[in-house]
Amino acid sequence: MKRALLITLNEIRLFIQDKGDLAFGILLPIVTFALMYGAFGGQTLFTATARVVDEDKGAYSTILINQLDQVQGISIENLTLQEANSKLERSDLTLVLYIPAGFSDTLASGGKAELTFMQRGNGGQDGQILASIIRGVAERMNQQFQVAYQVSNQVTNNLGNNVVSQGRIKAVVAEMLNEENKQPTVAVTEEVTGGSPDFVNQYVPGIVTMYVLFSLTLSARAIVEERKRGTLERLLTTRLSPGELFFGKFLASIGRGFLQTVILMSLAYAVFQVFTPLSFLASIFVILIFAAAASAVGMIIASVARTEDAATWIGVVFTMLMTMLGGTFFAVTKGSVLEIIGRFSLNTYANDAIRTVINSGGSLSGTGRAFIVMGGVIVVGLVVSRLIFRAVPGGK
Amino acid sequence: MIAKDLHKSFGDFKAVNGVSFSINKGEIFGLLGPNGAGKTTTIRMLSTVLAPDSGQIIIGGHSMKSEAEAIRSIIGVCPQDLALYEDLSAIDNMIFFGRMAGLNSQDARTQAMANLKLMGLEERAKGKVAKFSGGMKRRINLAIALMGNPQLLFLDEPTVGIDPQSRNNIYENILGLQKKGMTVLYTTHYMEEADRICQRVAIMDGGKIIAMDTPYQLKSQLGSPDKVTLEDVFLKLTGRSLRD
Ligand SMILES: Nc1ncnc2c1ncn2[C@@H]1O[C@H](COP(=O)(O)OP(=O)(O)O)[C@@H](O)[C@H]1O
Ligand SMILES: [Mg+2]
Repeated sequence: MKRALLITLNEIRLFIQDKGDLAFGILLPIVTFALMYGAFGGQTLFTATARVVDEDKGAYSTILINQLDQVQGISIENLTLQEANSKLERSDLTLVLYIPAGFSDTLASGGKAELTFMQRGNGGQDGQILASIIRGVAERMNQQFQVAYQVSNQVTNNLGNNVVSQGRIKAVVAEMLNEENKQPTVAVTEEVTGGSPDFVNQYVPGIVTMYVLFSLTLSARAIVEERKRGTLERLLTTRLSPGELFFGKFLASIGRGFLQTVILMSLAYAVFQVFTPLSFLASIFVILIFAAAASAVGMIIASVARTEDAATWIGVVFTMLMTMLGGTFFAVTKGSVLEIIGRFSLNTYANDAIRTVINSGGSLSGTGRAFIVMGGVIVVGLVVSRLIFRAVPGGK
Repeated sequence: MIAKDLHKSFGDFKAVNGVSFSINKGEIFGLLGPNGAGKTTTIRMLSTVLAPDSGQIIIGGHSMKSEAEAIRSIIGVCPQDLALYEDLSAIDNMIFFGRMAGLNSQDARTQAMANLKLMGLEERAKGKVAKFSGGMKRRINLAIALMGNPQLLFLDEPTVGIDPQSRNNIYENILGLQKKGMTVLYTTHYMEEADRICQRVAIMDGGKIIAMDTPYQLKSQLGSPDKVTLEDVFLKLTGRSLRD
């Protein structure tokens, strides 16, 4: 057993020594992630910085700016009038919101206040979107004023002056508007096709498990590489048993596939927010077991392959078949022939387990069958590979 | 070491066809023969890598059939083809195989340094083997076989294709190891090499041993041992037709 670990260590050392291999091993997950991000991560919200010249600095201009700031994707930058003018002049900016002095006072006294967009040309596309968002916010403020004003007028006209205080009217109106905001009469909800988080949930597990399957090809090559170097025969004349050799290679293969996949998953965790901390840990556990199962299958290939090419090709064909049947690239319809065939693909189980874990927020319940299948593959893979391994024809 | 009536066929081809010989403790025994004679196949059977079709092998009192593991713990093998990790340093190769031979980490390091020194490679201990010359790689290949102080050393053409200096270093080391009590089975097709270091030699051809004696006795059969070379004996016994 100790010698098996020494084999693992040696394998890792060889991997680290080979700078190209190492760079590839670490870069590959990052590149894969970049591609995933390109495919799934593009649907971000509109973001913009609203430049504001606030010459008023009163209660209502502050409310307006705060409400703007609360709009998702909008941040505020305050400018002086001079800055705004010179930046517009130099085309550094295309649109600035100008709040004139006296804005708040005018509103407070029931007059009509004005906002100005200082803009270059039409303000640019971003500027126009920003302008319409600002108009929306201003419009809402406007309506609130209108309602408060109308209510106050009605109350005063019907009941006479000072029966109900202006403060009381304002408070009640504000409260009712607030209620209305919480449950708007015309509500807008989002129904997204294509770019929804479910889409990511569907495909991230598939890509992650496809990734783990790469370790299958690596472990398939483990013995052949040793054979080609001549070190296999040398190892077999030492105290190392073939069982220890296989187990050591098996562990190294798990380690490598696992490490790469964890890099990939961490990036996915950070950017896609597919996982909660708990479901991330649970998924990593699924990946570890799946990496072991893939490596065990790889060891069977390793025990029969006589050349590096043979090992690589058998490994790649296996990987492709399992990836396709496992529903990595397309959702498999329940009850279809494909679903039945997919039951023979190892990563169907890993995909299901990860999806279950993601949807349940990290609970492993319902993944029992997946773990039984993967565990079975590990045991069978190790036993079978050891049984059919012959170092040389007629050899041990 | 005793080998009795070893047979090994690959398909219909009889690579080793009834080979019997024994090596005494502390002896350097030469196994000579043209290419394809069956020397390497014999060594692979003796070193537990290849199972004989029939025949018996006993090494250090252990039978191959039932105690291959015990045999592996007392032999060291220097294969005909380089068998090392070119991407690792010389010392890392040595330590790794030392640990495979059962040494602990401390002893493996100590022995590795000692053996590298023996081979005149201590300065290059940390160098990557891939950057070594052919002669240096051969010496490392041999040095690895010494890890764990085996009682019986199998050397399969350890000097093939290297410069005279490296070759001389290897001879001297083999003789030095013998002084420390190591038993050596040495295969080569350089006759003067065998004449110089072997106490006894067996000449093999077509999977069979066709002569076995001390170099002196073999030469005596052709004439005065001072005038006849082992090469003359070899050519007389194996004929002059080309082999490959
Ligand atoms: N694994 C093998 N499969 C088929 N033929 C082999 C194998 N190993 C050796 N041979 C054949 O057996 C013969 C003896 O080979 P070998 O023992 O390597 O000879 P030597 O070491 O004396 O040059 C050669 O003809 C070689 O081609
Ligand atoms: Mg040979």
